[in-house]
Amino acid sequence: MGKIRLIIAIIVGKLMICLTKLTGSQGTVFPGRIALIICPEILKILGENISEEIIVITGTNGKTTTSNMVAQILKEHDYSLVHNAAGANMITGITTAFIDKTNLIGTKIFHYALLETDEANIPLLLKELTPKVVVITNFFSDQLDRFGQLDNIINLVKDALRNTKIELVLNADDPLVTHFQSDTGLHCWYFGFKETDYDKKESFHNNKVGKYCVFCQSELVFDKYHYAQLGKFYCPNCGNRNPEPNFVAHSLVMNPTISFWVNDIYIESPYQGFYNAYNILAAVSIAKLVGLKDEFITNAIKIYQPQAGRMESFNIAAKKVILILVKNPIGLNQAMAALEQESQSKNILFILNDNAGDSRDVSWIWETDLEMLATNQLNINNFICAGTCSGDIAVRLKYSGFPAGNIVLVKNLAEGIEELITRDSEVCYVFTTYSALFSSRKMLIKYQDKYKADISALKVKDFMGMGE
Amino acid sequence: MATFKIGFLYPEHMDLYGDDGNLIIIKKRLEWLGHSVLITKINLGQNYDLKEYDFLFMGTGTSYNQARVTKELEPQKDTLFALMEEGVPMLFMATAFQLLGQSYVIDRGKSVTGLGIFNFYVENGLHRLTGNTLISAILNGQEVSIVGFANHMARIYSEDENLLPFGLVVKGQGNNNDKLEGIRYKNFIGSNLHGPLLAKNPILADYFIDVMFKRKNINRDVILDDAIELFAHQQARTRLI
Repeated sequence: MGKIRLIIAIIVGKLMICLTKLTGSQGTVFPGRIALIICPEILKILGENISEEIIVITGTNGKTTTSNMVAQILKEHDYSLVHNAAGANMITGITTAFIDKTNLIGTKIFHYALLETDEANIPLLLKELTPKVVVITNFFSDQLDRFGQLDNIINLVKDALRNTKIELVLNADDPLVTHFQSDTGLHCWYFGFKETDYDKKESFHNNKVGKYCVFCQSELVFDKYHYAQLGKFYCPNCGNRNPEPNFVAHSLVMNPTISFWVNDIYIESPYQGFYNAYNILAAVSIAKLVGLKDEFITNAIKIYQPQAGRMESFNIAAKKVILILVKNPIGLNQAMAALEQESQSKNILFILNDNAGDSRDVSWIWETDLEMLATNQLNINNFICAGTCSGDIAVRLKYSGFPAGNIVLVKNLAEGIEELITRDSEVCYVFTTYSALFSSRKMLIKYQDKYKADISALKVKDFMGMGE
Repeated sequence: MATFKIGFLYPEHMDLYGDDGNLIIIKKRLEWLGHSVLITKINLGQNYDLKEYDFLFMGTGTSYNQARVTKELEPQKDTLFALMEEGVPMLFMATAFQLLGQSYVIDRGKSVTGLGIFNFYVENGLHRLTGNTLISAILNGQEVSIVGFANHMARIYSEDENLLPFGLVVKGQGNNNDKLEGIRYKNFIGSNLHGPLLAKNPILADYFIDVMFKRKNINRDVILDDAIELFAHQQARTRLI
């Protein structure tokens, strides 16, 4: 009877995946949800088809990029894997990924499962699957409305890990992550950065996260910050400090693309920004732990190109348009820091939504360093505001000191992109929250093709003497 | 031109959900009106005189920090209430105003004594009350609409005849099931609504500013262009009704 339920769940799930693909939507959650209703044990059963290891990647930022990089390395090795590559990281999205890959009777074997998992879903996931490794990238304030407060999420994850045999891979530079060793007693591996040329003496103005020692609540002393609360810290009261990392990153160069060493491996990547250097470091650490070969690792990272919303680049009407996913204060601060490397004049389309997948509470835009806009050192001509909360971001920009006259409110995405490319600037950026990521990407591709078509039509006219 | 002194109570411990945006807003608006602003951050263990300030603000904190702050404020509670009586404008967000009552709840359901300035008590509900919220409040004798984002475990029950609610819930989440939101005593307002609260409610920001002006005998002669703020207010309101 159980077997029949499983097969029905797989078939229904696969049909729904086909349907969502046909309609072109990114519905990666719904098939898994329905399948779990039909056969609640489906994830547990399909999880047993993994012959090598299940690797779980969690934390606030960097889950998608890190897991995609690890996937690329595993593919270089010709390993088969189940991977929720679309970033649907709740239990439902993970179930969808398993259903998509398995055969109709749910017996197909894979080498690895690579599961980026939402922090709050870790307890649920660990009830169904037994991963060998759980990686924690970092903890920042994110989507507080969904979880209560950051402390609660951290405790939730910690409680779920206790009394397991999981090995942890932890960010040695994040004081909110390093205490997992003593609090869970699990075997831990650490990755971290040595001092870099990009370190700062101060964190950003609003940083309250990770400021206090998790053990004794005293204020931590930071020798330097890499970014946000990631850095070299110690507690003057109880001696809590960074653990010695197993995977040490050093000699970082961002020019603006990233290169550095991890122990004795030289890494180069087309990615930009310190947060991506951490993602690469985490991916390399996982790959080394799993026992993958250095040349496969360096090669995979070198050819791995930024994906949807991770600084993906488009060309519309001879203008470069770069799409960046921003979903929390740290992400937005990092996106702004990336703009600093670009001297050309810019227009920015900011799509702020509060739908499912986004933070329902958009007050996070006030926890950012947008005050740097007041001096316009970033050379921004116009901000175009769209999305369900376009008014919120417009107000935030106005109070950051950005000239109100250069804040444009638009009714929809299409109007936003029109304004973005027709208003004067040398380069354009689209900042979007998660729920508008795929729709804005689709629209950017459409505009890219449209202007390409217009240009070739124009050329034909010129050729036939019908210009004007 | 005048200088306004703002006391920001315990920013290191009481400032979640971008609450300090409220002070960015008050400060900018006062500057646009031609005045200067001095924001003093008052932290735990510091000596200060609450009477020095034209406006007092405290944001939201975790229950752990809420308890620390309550202890710190205990010797100041009579001064604080005297200032409220005198009409000093104040805005306290969520757990900040909740500590002014008889009791509130810290982690794992333990009830602790509040400052007891007002006769209300706070319990924890089974689930968080979250979501966009529209309330109707009375400011300067006029009914106005206020929007914000509710996000709290607290259930607030008032038995204080002198204490008014900040507003009536039109859509969304209030103090508990009684359709009331926040508390109000003269020019003191306590609210569970974030956003930050003043961002989409310039009328409330101006209410505090007008009180500050009146107390300094300043006439308001400039009207600010609030097109963007009012758009944001309307956008949030329209989605709720």
